Amino acid sequence: MLRRLILLIGVAAAVLLHPTAASAEPTDVSVKAAFLPRFVRYVTWPPAAMPHGSDPFVLCVIGSDPFGQLLDQAAGTQSIDGRHIVIRRMNSAAAAGDCQAAFVSTNRLDELSDFGGRPVLTVTDGSAAGPHGIIHFVVVGGRVRFFIDQALAERRHLNISSRLLALALGVRQ
Amino acid sequence: MTPGPRSPIAWRSAPLVIFAMALLILGVGVVVSAQFNAAYTQSRVEQSQSFADILAASSAAAVDFDDPAAAQQAADAYRVNKQIRMIGIYDRNGKLIAGYDRSGTAVAPTIERLPPAKSSVIRVQAPISQAGQHIGMVYLTVDRDIQSRRIARFAILLGLFLLAALVVATVGLAQVQLRRANRVLAGRAEALGQANALLEEQIEERAKAEEQLRQSQKMQALGQLTGGLAHDFNNLLTVIQGSADMLCRPELPESKRIRFAQAIVKAATNAASLTSQLLAFARRQPLMPEQIDVDALIDNMQELIQGTVGERIQVVIGARSPSCPVKVDRAQLQSAILNIASNARDAMAGIGVLTIRTETIDRPDGTRMTAIEIVDTGKGMDAETMDRIFEPFFTTKGTGKGTGLGLSQVYGFASQSGGDVEAESEPGKGTRLTLLLPCVEAEVTGAAGPPNSEAIEQPAMTILVVEDNEHVGAFVETLLSELGHQVRLATSGEEALELARDRRFDIVLSDVVMPGMGGLKLAEMLKREQPDLPVVLATGYSQEITDSGSGGRPVILKPYRLATLSEALAAAMNGTKEQR
Repeated sequence: MLRRLILLIGVAAAVLLHPTAASAEPTDVSVKAAFLPRFVRYVTWPPAAMPHGSDPFVLCVIGSDPFGQLLDQAAGTQSIDGRHIVIRRMNSAAAAGDCQAAFVSTNRLDELSDFGGRPVLTVTDGSAAGPHGIIHFVVVGGRVRFFIDQALAERRHLNISSRLLALALGVRQ
Repeated sequence: MTPGPRSPIAWRSAPLVIFAMALLILGVGVVVSAQFNAAYTQSRVEQSQSFADILAASSAAAVDFDDPAAAQQAADAYRVNKQIRMIGIYDRNGKLIAGYDRSGTAVAPTIERLPPAKSSVIRVQAPISQAGQHIGMVYLTVDRDIQSRRIARFAILLGLFLLAALVVATVGLAQVQLRRANRVLAGRAEALGQANALLEEQIEERAKAEEQLRQSQKMQALGQLTGGLAHDFNNLLTVIQGSADMLCRPELPESKRIRFAQAIVKAATNAASLTSQLLAFARRQPLMPEQIDVDALIDNMQELIQGTVGERIQVVIGARSPSCPVKVDRAQLQSAILNIASNARDAMAGIGVLTIRTETIDRPDGTRMTAIEIVDTGKGMDAETMDRIFEPFFTTKGTGKGTGLGLSQVYGFASQSGGDVEAESEPGKGTRLTLLLPCVEAEVTGAAGPPNSEAIEQPAMTILVVEDNEHVGAFVETLLSELGHQVRLATSGEEALELARDRRFDIVLSDVVMPGMGGLKLAEMLKREQPDLPVVLATGYSQEITDSGSGGRPVILKPYRLATLSEALAAAMNGTKEQR
């Protein structure tokens, strides 16, 4: 609780201290687009769920894509232990068979349950009501933060780095 | 003053060596300290690097997800470590995300604007990466040295410096002390040397003074003796002169003529005795031990002793057993006896009895000694005085009356001669001094019998008399002619030798001391030419014969009596006959 409070104060202070810088900050969407590929770095998949050989990680966008080119750019700069990240866009979760991670758009939240126990890191945008993925974004004090549902991750045999957990606004055990 | 005789070079270079050693200690200390310091700095760099690495790992997600608060929180965790001066967490573009500077100044906003690290700090950096992706940098500076360590290092160096200084000071001080001690010692040695020189000088002076005193004492004794002798001689000469005058009277009856002649003979005998004393006493030192018949010596000295002690003291030659002969210096023995007698006289204040006894005693250690006891009836001595009587210059007599050397001469003489002196006295009961002298084997047997005034009847002989003194020569010639001998007189050894070659003599009577060829030389020459010719030597001064002997020839001492002369001649003739 305390840490969260400090974080909040820190964020508030940062915003207050840099009002002009804040206006120059990237938009929430671009931040989220930048964050998405980075989450991959802090998650460990069961070996069977890893890409074959030197295949890239697959980050899927299910439903309407709010990021567009931003996400492609963000993914293009990232590499995880030498692997690249490719973005696949699809309408249904049913098609996300070989995705390691998937951003489920707000209009496809009802499909979250379709992932069942498959080891896919699901990310949702928390601005809308409804079910959440393992990670879901929130905007606090003008900054993009996120919650993590570790219990769900464990059910899907995903191991999330404590470093990431430490950064989350909240973690559901 | 020199610092001392031993290896001055080593001494002088000692301070240099000590100084070099101190410098070495200091140098080694500095080097070791620097090495420790380098090792410490290295360990500090490693420690700081690990701090930076940990911070880089713990802040990775915060950087990745652009969360300055979380990054700041990660950085602030290090604030408890006071040595960390600055932390800066930068993103992949080199832009500051979080950090702090302990000094209060702002952390550089970008990596490019980081100021160069000061020498007092260590700056390390660590990349922030996640899954092989570089996402930022951590910069961290720490104090190169912590305060306590700096103080400790300074203290160690100071300690080393003090130690070196102490070594230099201690050794330097010790050397100064040593030099001072050397100086003092040298000074003392010099003082001691001076004192020694002074002492030797004083000893020499004292020896001189003692010698002078002895000499003056001897001169004094000689003066006394000659004075006494002159007095005695004058008395005897009065008798002789008077008697001779009487004999010159034409109508003197036969009985009176004989009495006067006898008076002359007695006076001359006494005079001869005195003369022999004088000769013995006046003989020059050094010590000349000779065999002496103590009893005969004392008999001969009786008059001398009487003269020394004065007329009111009775001199008694007491009972005596036959004493053994001793071998000592005659003059010294006489001097010793006279010294004792002189002391006795003073002790008796001029009136009393002086008794002289001799005996042969066997001492407990097996030695035989002749003891000469001299006993007076004087005032005696207490024990305290007795203890000191043999000390040189100790005297109980008033100033100018005695030298204090008398009894010390007695003691010295006795000791030197292998004998001893014993004193026995009590106040009011007189003093007994016993002079002990070791016995020797008798060298001469058959002492001469008492002098006979009658000449032995002998057959007439042809006698060569050698005598440089005209009067004595004429007298002897007359004497021997009266006895019926044929006499030929020679006045020198050379002349006698010529005469002996010309004609045959039965016997030669020669004086010993003569100008040119002496009696001994003449006797030697004659023995070579005429071995059968007997020679009798006559002398009034026996020094030469004492020194080298008479070569077995009979010697008669001047002045001689008619009987002595005829006895000696007869003995010489008989001895020669027996040898044939």
